[in-house]
Parts: sequence; C-alpha cells; structure tokens
Amino acid sequence: MAEFSTSTKDLGGVSIIYLQGYLDAHTAPSLENTFSNLIENGKYCTVVNFKELAYISSAGLGVFMAFIEKMRENNGDIKLTSMSEKVYNIFDLLGFPLLYEIYKTEDEAVNKFIESKNLEK
Amino acid sequence: MKLEIPALKMNQKLQTFIGLSILLFGFKFFIASSDSTAYMLIDDVLVGLTVITFVFYLKDWMHLKKVNPLSLVMNIGILSALIFLLITFSGAINSSLAINNSPNSLRTNFISNLVTFIYSFIILGSLSYIFLAFRELYSFKQKRDIKTYFNTMVVFFILASYSTLLQQNADLLYIKDTFFIISILLIIINSIKISWIAFIVKREKKILLFLSIIIAILFVSNIVKISNQSPNMLGQFSPILNQFFKIIGIYGSIYFSILFFTTLFHIPTAEAFDRKAQEVTSLQYFSKLITEVLDFDDLVRTITDIAAKLSNADAAWIAWKEGDGLKSVGNNSIGFLDADLITFFVAENKEKYDLNETVFISLDRFRKKSQLGESFSNITVSPLRAHNELKGYLLTGKKNNFLFDDEDKNALDTFSDYASVAIENSRLFEESIIKERLEKELDLAREVQRKILPSKNPDYEGLTISTVFIPAFEVGGDYYDFFEIDKYNFGFVIADVSGKGISAAFIMAEVKGIFESLSKTIKTPKNILIKANEILQRTLDRKNFVSAAYGFLDVKNETMLISRAGHCPIILIRNNAIENLRPSGIGLGLNFSEHFSNTLEEIKIDLRENDIVVLYTDGITEAKNKLLEDFGSDLFEKILIENCDKDADDIANKVIREVTLFSQNHPQHDDITLVILKWKQKLKIDGEKEWQNSALQPKI
Repeated sequence: MAEFSTSTKDLGGVSIIYLQGYLDAHTAPSLENTFSNLIENGKYCTVVNFKELAYISSAGLGVFMAFIEKMRENNGDIKLTSMSEKVYNIFDLLGFPLLYEIYKTEDEAVNKFIESKNLEK
Repeated sequence: MKLEIPALKMNQKLQTFIGLSILLFGFKFFIASSDSTAYMLIDDVLVGLTVITFVFYLKDWMHLKKVNPLSLVMNIGILSALIFLLITFSGAINSSLAINNSPNSLRTNFISNLVTFIYSFIILGSLSYIFLAFRELYSFKQKRDIKTYFNTMVVFFILASYSTLLQQNADLLYIKDTFFIISILLIIINSIKISWIAFIVKREKKILLFLSIIIAILFVSNIVKISNQSPNMLGQFSPILNQFFKIIGIYGSIYFSILFFTTLFHIPTAEAFDRKAQEVTSLQYFSKLITEVLDFDDLVRTITDIAAKLSNADAAWIAWKEGDGLKSVGNNSIGFLDADLITFFVAENKEKYDLNETVFISLDRFRKKSQLGESFSNITVSPLRAHNELKGYLLTGKKNNFLFDDEDKNALDTFSDYASVAIENSRLFEESIIKERLEKELDLAREVQRKILPSKNPDYEGLTISTVFIPAFEVGGDYYDFFEIDKYNFGFVIADVSGKGISAAFIMAEVKGIFESLSKTIKTPKNILIKANEILQRTLDRKNFVSAAYGFLDVKNETMLISRAGHCPIILIRNNAIENLRPSGIGLGLNFSEHFSNTLEEIKIDLRENDIVVLYTDGITEAKNKLLEDFGSDLFEKILIENCDKDADDIANKVIREVTLFSQNHPQHDDITLVILKWKQKLKIDGEKEWQNSALQPKI
C-alpha cells in the first residue's frame, strides 16, 4: 500500500496538519500520534488540510472522531479543508458535514478560528 | 570401588570410628603387650577397622565438596609435608623420652605410648585422606569404568599390609614380598593413565609441574626416613599401618613422578589445547543461542551472560535501540542506573569511536564516573546488526582498572555477529507467531461474518431479491439482513462497520442483534436507526462507527420507507434512469446528541412496475485495478442501466463480473456487498381476500 505522511505547521496559534497519501487502518496510528502530540502541547485549534490526501478509509475517518471531543471541550475544534471531490464525497456520505466544519480553503478555516478568538476577547 | 555402607549415615560412621579409636586406645594402654598371635591379630584387626571406618567417613565428607584435581594435589602435598615434619621430629622426641627416664617407669611408658598413639593417629588420618585423594584423582575424567583395576590394587594393598604379620616366619617371607611386588606393579599400571591433565588450563599445568616434583620428593624422602628410623614409632604402634604407609608412599612417589613427566609433555600444547577448548565452548554457546532461545528477554539475558564469560568481564548488557534512544536490556551483574549512565556516555561520544566493530573505551574521561554504583573503569562496545541495520550495542565492563585484551576483542567481535543473528531469529519467530495468530483471528472473523449473514432471501410475491457477498481476506465488516415482519411487510438493512478483522466482526454481530430486535417493535426505519444509534453509544469505541441504510417494504401497499445513516446512496432505477436516494443522516456512532435524530431523514417511495432498488457497500465503487484507479460510481451506474431490463440475479451477476474483471490484478481490500430488489407489479386485485386467493401466494 502506498505511503502516508503528515506535517504540521503553526499559524498564529492554529495548528495546520497536512495529510499526504493513503490514510487507512495501517497508517491511521501515525495521524493519531500527530493529534495526541497537539493535545499534549495544549494546541486545540486544528485545521486539517486534505489537499494531498489520495484516499481515506473508514479507519482514517475514525481518527477525527477520536479527537474531536477533546478539542471541543477545550474551546478548540478540528476544521477540515481543501478536500478533493472524492474525499469530500466519503465524508459527505457519512454525514461529516453535519458534524464538522469543512472549508474549501485553508485560509477560510484559519480565519474562522481567528474570528472566534476575537469574539471571545 | 564400592565404598558404600548404605545403612550407616555419615555421623554414624564418625561415631563408629571414634568408638573403634577408643577401643584401640584402651587395648593399647590397658592390656599388656605380648607377642602372642591372638594379641597381634586383635591389634591388627582393630587398626585395620579403624582405618577403614575413617576412610568411609572421609569419603562422605569429601563428596560433600566439589573437588578439583589441583586442590586434591595441593592437599596431598600439604599432608605429605606434615608427615615429613612428623617423622623428622619423631626421632628427636623418641630419643629424648628414652634418655630422660628409665625404660621401666610406668609413667614414661604411658607418655611414650600416648605420644606414639597420637603420632600414629595423625599419620593414619593423613594416609586415609591421601589414599582417598588418589582414588578421586584416579577416577577423574576417566571415560570408562576402570574401578576394577583400582579395587584390585586396594585388595593387594591390604594383603601386602597384613602379610607383614607373617614376617616372623622366614619361610613365609616370600608371600609378603610377592604381595608387595604385585602392589607396586599395580601402582605403576594404575598411575600411567592420568587423563585429567588435559582438561586443566595452562596456568594450572605450570603450578602442577612444580607441585608434582616437590610432592614426589616428599614421598620418596618419607619412605626413606621411615625405613631408616630406629626405633620406628609407627612400626611399634602397628606394623600393618607401617606397611600401608610404605605402600602409599610408593604410590605417591610413582604417581607424582609420572604426573610430573606427563605434565611436562603437556605444557607445550597446553595453550593450543586451551584455545581449542574455549572455541568448542563458544561454539556450543553460539549454537545454543541460535537454536534454542527464541524468547527475546531470555535471549538477551543469555547473550549478556555469555559475553561476560567470553571476555572475562564483570558485567555485560545490551543497549537496545528503541525509537531514537537506547534502552538497557538483559543486564548481567550491573544495575540499570549504571548501565544507562555508561550507555548514555557512549552514545554522547559516538563520533569519537569507530563503532563498526568492537572497541575498548576507558571510563577515565567519564565525568559522571563518580555517580556509578560500582567502580567500572573499562568497557567494550560491540555493534549488533541485523540486515545491515544497527539494532543496538553489546557492552561489557570491567571494574577496578582491569583492562581488556585483543583476545577479548576477537571473541566479542565474533560473538556479537552470532548474537545479532540470534536476535534477528527471535524477532522473525515472534513475527511469525503474530502472523499465525492474526490468521487464526481472521478465520474466526470470517466464520462470525458467515453466520451473521442471512442464509436465504425472503420470498414475497411480486418481488425478486438477489444478494451477492464477497468477503475480503481481512474481513471488511459488511453486513446485510432481512427481517420478515408479516405477510406483507419486511425490513432490510445494509451496513458497513468501520475497521476490519475480528473487531469489525464483533461489532457486526452486535449490530445484527440490535436490528433484529428493533425490527420487531419499531415500525419506521428512522426510529430504528435512532434507537440503534442510542444503543451503540454504550458499546462503540469513539473511533468506530457504522454506516447503515434501513428500509421497510410493504408489498401490499407497494411502498418503501428508507432512512440512511451515513451509508452509500440507495440507487433507484426507474424508466431506464438512475436516481441516487440520499436522505440526510449521520453514520451510527458518530454523534449521540439530538443532532443525529434531527438530521436523519426518512423517504417514502411508491413502487412502480420494474422498479429496481440497489443497495451496496463501498467495496464495489472503491474496488481498485492495478493502477489504483477506483471502479467508481459512474461505471457502476452505467452497468446497472445497461442491464436494468434483466432480472435481479442477472443484474447482480453482471455487476460482480465487471468488478472482478476490473480489479483482477489487484487484491480485494474490502468486502463487497450487493443487494438488488426488483419489483414486478402484481395483478392488482382489491382486497385481501382476492390477494390470498390468487394463484401466487406469498410463502412466509
């Protein structure tokens, strides 16, 4: 099976995770680690960029479910962006758009975080 | 020689010996000596018995300790030196006793008797020990049982000793001489084969060479001295013991002379022999490592144990790579704190040393040396590799400024190679066990899945149903089912559990149970899914979820109710056109708030003639070819349209054939499930009666 990798970048207190390759049962633990690290470091505002993700399986979807609660409890969120049509379709079928904020571009998602932070202030 | 008296315990033997000694003492002191045969016979039998019981006692005592030949030789040497001193001084003591007092004085007699007695008893004890030591040396490292030779010799020793009783009679003197000569011959024969020399190391051989010549001289001088002594105290005490003394003396002289020469000839080859022996032991270790030990923890312990022995080190451990760091495992004679400190020091200075082979590192420059619990001063580090990948290091350490030498390095170099192979073996073995267990689990998962899926499709008038299920190797978690409610109503469900294998199979079994019971009591798909979601909250992991579509079909009213919780769309084919039914709904287990029920829709379809309803799982649309392209929903829909005039079975077969052809060069990763319902409009007869009387009756 093809490889999967993640990279993380911090943008004004918002963590952006870039996914690449195939996210399935075998590669899901790698993404789980990424999320666990963020939570350990107290970073709860996360944007996941799907631009280079080729495929996501049900186990891959499970990763987001595992962490969303924790993030939201701490006034954070996981926002999803830049999905290909195919990947979006998978999320859509499962009803993820009803549960997650999904944006076309990374900037939109980041701005949403910044807006909500400004509102809190 | 069978020196066993099973009935007597060790301390009983000691008691017997003490009893006999007291008896002998009493006999010697309180019964006037005479030359009568009876007196001499009793005297000699008592002496003989005393010696024998003492030998028996000593034998048990010696067996309590682990003896090695060199220490036996040493003890013989000490005792023969003691005898030498005794004999040397006995002359002086004897003469002083004789000069100072008149010979008839009772008191003097008593004292001289006492001195003789003690003197003889010390010699008796020493002789017994020396005799037993010879016996041990004789049987040491002998391959065959040759105790008969030794026993024969002992018999002749006794005969030769006791035949001294006959020496008053000059005619019978030849008997004594004959036994004596035979004894000496047997001694020579028995002394020639000294096999244990080969098994001691070179250093010990050198010591032995030195010892054997001294002991041989001591024995010879003891014999000469005691023969020339006059009066001979031992001879006065017991002529038999005196004779036995001579025989043992001769045995000692001969044995140690032969030992001296044997050792001398062994010395030049000693080193080579040592090395060979070491190699043989190492080989045994290695083969043991590679064949026997497969458990990782046992293995590392064995490796460090052998490494410490091979390099004569005080401690050994393995620094095993775990993630980015090194972890101490299999610590042998070193605490984890010390091992970690030293390992860390080595890792810190990795660049300074060429760690491609065994290197010596002195801990002089180690700043934290004072923190060590024990005073390690020098260490070796050998890399452990498997498939050219560094797995860790094997370390050994010496304390108190002792150094490692090149031989240690060579041994460790070779050994660490073997150790690496052994570690790799154990890893592969563990992997194969895991693989086997996974396969067993998958077998079980497939079995569960097979039992969960319905064995036959329901049969309703006007409806044909075709189902295809193709399990993936890993068990994908697909599930479909039918629930026959009454003559005209039945429910159907299709679901896909997230994850794979045994865990998916168990969730599947649970989901089946939930739908099975809910279908009996709840009348709408939407409420069934809401209730199912509620129940699943209790058991489902946050990571897991189930996509499902549930439908009710009423054949009497020709309607179908459908709700969808995150599952693939339901395809309706009507008038040669595809319609993807996507009522909104979140997958089961993704959300447990009101949000779930609020967003869940239910749609109602009025069935028309030749309507086809297709339920499927993503195993079809995501089936891949070798270019990793998806089969896709476009192709799927195209095939459905092209074949929509056929009956349900034919359509299903066509779809599966196309999917199989498409993905023939790529393994199937997910279960494939396809359920096709085709509605054939029945003759419209109003009222239930007519319906029941019609030719085609529903078989429920």
